[in-house]
Amino acid sequence: MAVGLLAVVVQGAVASIVRPPWCPDLALLVVLAIGLRWQGFESGLLMVAALGYAADILSGGLRGGHALLRMFVFVSARLAARQLNLVGAFPLATFAAGLFVAYGLAVVGLTQFFTGASLPSEGWLDLLPHALVNALAAPLVSAAVGRLLSWFGDDDEERLVLGVDPGRRTS
Amino acid sequence: MPEFWQRARMPLVFAVLVLLATVAMISDRNALREGGRELSWFEGLLLDISAPAQEMLAAPADALVEVWDRYIDLLDVRADNQQLVARVAELEEENLQYREALVTSGRLADIARMRKDFELPMLPTQVVGLDVSPWFRAVLLNRGEGDGIRPGNPVMTHNGVVGLVTATSSSAAKAMLLLDRQSAVDGLVQRSRVRGVVRGQGTDRLGFEFVVREADVRRGDVIISSGLDGVYPRGLRIGEVEEVDDPGGRLLQTVTLKPSVAFDRLEQVFVMLRASRTMDLLYQADAPSEQREGVIETAAGASTP
Repeated sequence: MAVGLLAVVVQGAVASIVRPPWCPDLALLVVLAIGLRWQGFESGLLMVAALGYAADILSGGLRGGHALLRMFVFVSARLAARQLNLVGAFPLATFAAGLFVAYGLAVVGLTQFFTGASLPSEGWLDLLPHALVNALAAPLVSAAVGRLLSWFGDDDEERLVLGVDPGRRTS
Repeated sequence: MPEFWQRARMPLVFAVLVLLATVAMISDRNALREGGRELSWFEGLLLDISAPAQEMLAAPADALVEVWDRYIDLLDVRADNQQLVARVAELEEENLQYREALVTSGRLADIARMRKDFELPMLPTQVVGLDVSPWFRAVLLNRGEGDGIRPGNPVMTHNGVVGLVTATSSSAAKAMLLLDRQSAVDGLVQRSRVRGVVRGQGTDRLGFEFVVREADVRRGDVIISSGLDGVYPRGLRIGEVEEVDDPGGRLLQTVTLKPSVAFDRLEQVFVMLRASRTMDLLYQADAPSEQREGVIETAAGASTP
């Protein structure tokens, strides 16, 4: 939670140095890593909802928008981690790229639905570089979050490698 | 029952959180329509912590950029300086002619009195962080309610309109930039007085909308705020027309503006300390002068820390 909050705060400072769309969305990458590595569903969901709400407070979007979408990112990452092998850097980067494009589309769609503000054609061009930058950063952030979680005893790397879900019933 | 709860718990928690987030978005949309919101104590606490933290984190990079700008990147400074000296002389001459014309028409004293009446307190603040999401254009300011800033206060620089304060905490504030897709300002072409709505596009350009095809808008025209939206005072520079598309068979023209403010180099901005009601009273021609003076004094009092 502390790492997630730190990522939200650091994100604002990083964005003033490396301008969007070339700035990686650290806070969202942490949510993605939590989705891939956190064990408990409810606790993880509550945590990413809180992190999303923190992002809402520091962002110009509607309050609740990031919280809502980050919950979907968490669930998507969790489902993907069960069905796909996302241990390697390349599969994870590919998954992250797709997820960031979908996230961008969802943010634009939600804002348009609630406020009527649409995105002009030039704005769509930011989607791809933003997804690419985040795809490159995803394996690094995921590894860093994994290392932190293993320090605090909440993650086991083997679970991802072997595809073992301790919560799943065997009979 | 426990087994049912075990099975239903995950979707139930998810559904409740989704519902809460949706309700939050609807209530926030309504709050923004009414000019912004004051944050609750825990939201304010996050903003209060973030502003100095972001300032501290960005400080080394800012220092490097400053050294580069001030001491290294000076190639064109001499040429710029010569051009500016010539431009100042030209403007001084022009100013003199205007003053002469005003004195001749006897309106200078009236205008000076009106400017004094309409003078509003401005608070200089620093931009300490940008939006944490690339899909919105907002900035974090290092002053808040404790300095008199309220949601709905306009933000500007000497170059023109920057945006609007949308949320405040005791020592920080969040402002939505003109570039944000949710931003809209009632604007006016300075030359031809054609009205339209300046809307953010989420990019580094602005759109000037609802301009009928017959309207006289040309490339290079300056767009100023009309004051009719009750948020921004009249006459603030917004941008310059960069492109006017041929409307073809359409009723409205598509006009693109280059903003007057360099949003990519935003550092110090000024917050105009007044609520929307102040502006309404100031711009009501029939408002009694004592009431207007009271409003100005209240706004001035709010600026005193």
